[in-house]
Amino acid sequence: MQKYLITVLLLLPGYLVSAQDNKDKKDSTRLPGTRALKMVTVSAGAFEASDKAKGASLTPIDAVTVAGSYADITQALRSLPGAQQIGEQEGLFVRGGTSYETKQFIDGTLLKYPNYPSVPGITQYARINPFLFKGILFSSGGYSALYGQAMSSALIMESVDMPEKSSASFSLFPANIGTGFQKLGKGSRSSFGASLSYSNQSWYNNIIQQRPDYFSGPEYLDGNANFRIRTGKTGILKFYTNWSSSNVGMYNPDIDSAALRAGYLVKGRNGYNSLSYRTALTDKWKVDVSAAYTYNHNTTATSLTNGDGKTVILHEEPYQYKNRYNRIRSDFAQGRIVFTHILPGNQTLRFGAEHFYTNDKGVTNDSLIRFTDQLTAAFAEGDLYVADNIAAKAGARLEHSTALNKWVVAPRLSVAYMLKSGGQFNLAYGIFYQEPQEEFMYYNRNLTFSSATHYVLNYTRKENNRFFRVEAYYKQYRDLIKIKPQEGNGGKGYAKGIELFFRDKKTIRNLDYWITYTYLDTRRDFQNYPYELKPTFAAPHTATIAIKKSFPDINAYVNVSYAFAAGRPYYDIRFNVPDNKWQVYDDGTTKNYSVVNLHVAYLTPFFKHWKQKDFSGIAFGVNNLLGTKQVFGYNYSFDGSRKVPMTLPASRYYFIGFFMNFGIDRTNDILDNL
Amino acid sequence: MRTIMITLLALVMAYTTVSAQSADPLQDAVTRLDKAASVKDYEALEKTFSGIAVSQKTAWLPYYYAAFCNAKIGFLYQDDGERIEPYSKSGEEQAKQAISLLNADKQKKELAEVNTVLSMVYRTRVFINPMTYGRQYGSLSQKHLEQAKQLDPQNPRALYVEAWVKYYTPKLWGGDKQRAKQLAEESLAKLPGTAAGVEPHWGRKEDQELLAKIK
Repeated sequence: MQKYLITVLLLLPGYLVSAQDNKDKKDSTRLPGTRALKMVTVSAGAFEASDKAKGASLTPIDAVTVAGSYADITQALRSLPGAQQIGEQEGLFVRGGTSYETKQFIDGTLLKYPNYPSVPGITQYARINPFLFKGILFSSGGYSALYGQAMSSALIMESVDMPEKSSASFSLFPANIGTGFQKLGKGSRSSFGASLSYSNQSWYNNIIQQRPDYFSGPEYLDGNANFRIRTGKTGILKFYTNWSSSNVGMYNPDIDSAALRAGYLVKGRNGYNSLSYRTALTDKWKVDVSAAYTYNHNTTATSLTNGDGKTVILHEEPYQYKNRYNRIRSDFAQGRIVFTHILPGNQTLRFGAEHFYTNDKGVTNDSLIRFTDQLTAAFAEGDLYVADNIAAKAGARLEHSTALNKWVVAPRLSVAYMLKSGGQFNLAYGIFYQEPQEEFMYYNRNLTFSSATHYVLNYTRKENNRFFRVEAYYKQYRDLIKIKPQEGNGGKGYAKGIELFFRDKKTIRNLDYWITYTYLDTRRDFQNYPYELKPTFAAPHTATIAIKKSFPDINAYVNVSYAFAAGRPYYDIRFNVPDNKWQVYDDGTTKNYSVVNLHVAYLTPFFKHWKQKDFSGIAFGVNNLLGTKQVFGYNYSFDGSRKVPMTLPASRYYFIGFFMNFGIDRTNDILDNL
Repeated sequence: MRTIMITLLALVMAYTTVSAQSADPLQDAVTRLDKAASVKDYEALEKTFSGIAVSQKTAWLPYYYAAFCNAKIGFLYQDDGERIEPYSKSGEEQAKQAISLLNADKQKKELAEVNTVLSMVYRTRVFINPMTYGRQYGSLSQKHLEQAKQLDPQNPRALYVEAWVKYYTPKLWGGDKQRAKQLAEESLAKLPGTAAGVEPHWGRKEDQELLAKIK
């Protein structure tokens, strides 16, 4: 989809990053000629993409402009080690975890519904523009005590403060139209902006044949607005609101009957509103306060229809479950406060608390749902410099949920040791608790937190605009959710693996590339797995390459990504009624997955004689360039006699369009030195 | 006989140079600076210059040269973004210190020199990571270069920095390799053939290096 593509392309050359707030603090005590020591910073388990990135460290733009990312941060991060190449579903599957085990946070607040409501077998797009962030921390293990409720991975994002300057933009692609503006106030003390985009895929789908037969949409509408106000010397108040709706309806052949079709319709409305404030209280104290309210309303209907499009209601198995209606409204609110106390020698103490309120009501499968949960957490964490070359981050998190009626304490610890050569070893340990998915808590009030214990060891070395990283980990899952016959927290599992990352910006001029390799060994007993199995969302070997090449003499940018994943396991798991247990009736491994994505952008001002040169261009791209037939797994018929591969909705995805941006004058401040 | 005379003369000259060196550590350091090429050379000189700066306190030249050494180190580390920051930060402080020691009305030429170096120092900040530092420090670098040119349009070192920027900036953002060549040649023409003394006189080597790249 072309949502936000404008920003993707605008930022593709990588120069337009909104890097405000990086005015370095003056260290007035330092004598001229003396050097600040290279500080050791703890970095086990995490990839940090920051607007302060040096050398070959990632910037947010590097992270989100990987070809084939569909302007979805979670898709983009699949080019980093630890993440699985999952093509049939949105979200991040990290180190043997499900996408539910990865949580996204914006300025401390949980983004509970990052993507449009799920559609079986088809990845749905992200709601939030990934270019909103000046910092993205992708933790695949051992993250800070300031965050919780994510067993596998936390995606911690920090929104930009002020835009560079006032600007307006417009983009037009066959399936998407978007416009927006940002207005910067006097002295960069305040700003506000809004944007709107609408996407309707039906026209595109008429030209590029899709596997499902869409009877509604797919269409997506999204509007967002923001304001930011500086207060005093150090304070900033930020507000962001995003409202979106989607409508996707499709028919697929019914797996149990050749004559019938299975319909799936989902309509979603969502609003995410976040207000945050941060300020220094004194030289030594800082405070971050944030509040968020999320509204989500999803209506899902499945149906069985005949050739004339008429609904068919059959009462025998398995057809009696095929006409279903679900409607759930969720209200989710969060309040959070974090104090930071800076101690001598760059040691830092952070502590605070947060509260999450969840209220779901609606109808699923003819039963009424009413669910409320109050989750409270308190946390503290210290950054300690044990020696010049040893740093530690130690913390703990206390959590209580009213729905589970349980208290838990999660310790977190990471240590970094810097070598003389410049390389660094990092160690991390932590326990990560997470509430079961709400759909399990709706019906069962005797559940407890699931948990994962992480052990991470990594080595990084950054030199000469090259970045090498190797990481090994072991992870133990406890109290995973099992469904009937013994519903509860009876599941468990483990994951272990080794991951490599190498990035090189130096060797070839104007070429930036990175290579990753992920080895994963994981088994788990959860949900309907009869015993510990290799889960269907885990491939043992994954490799990715991301390449960005610029041709400054012709103003062109080429962006290629490649991913390979060894086959994933699949199963036909059905309930064996006489034995009263789940049973694997068939299993196998899919063929290997490999994909090449290509994006090309050509930048040129359309109005060369205007006083304010516009910043515009043309872009095109193809995802799955080689048209490789992908198999993500198999769906089985009710009796196991038929299996149907899960594959892409179309063999390739194309886009072409143009975009314009006014008001950004950047002559002479860009350097092409890489 | 002739050989002996020359040898004697050389000895006398060497002696006077040595004594001149011991009398003026700044001159000694500047002489070494003219031959410096590696990061190690510039690091050692930066220490010397900042040492002189601290002992003299009110002289702008030692600060200026210390900042220049830091800028040169940044340029040599251009492809190693991880290492540049401490040099760049020191260079910024030293250049600002030099500016504060100059009289804004009477020492325009000197201020042009320092602003040229400060422009280079900010340029090294861009090398740390053009994507994250480019926008802010690129414009700061440009701002100080403009100031230098305004204070002294004939300054060959400001012309060199301008040539460098024109050479390395992509076309879309105003880069122009032929213009870079012109500027570097202009700069070279304004530089004296041989240079001595403590006043800023660097630039010949830099101009020639840049011109060698432009065909």
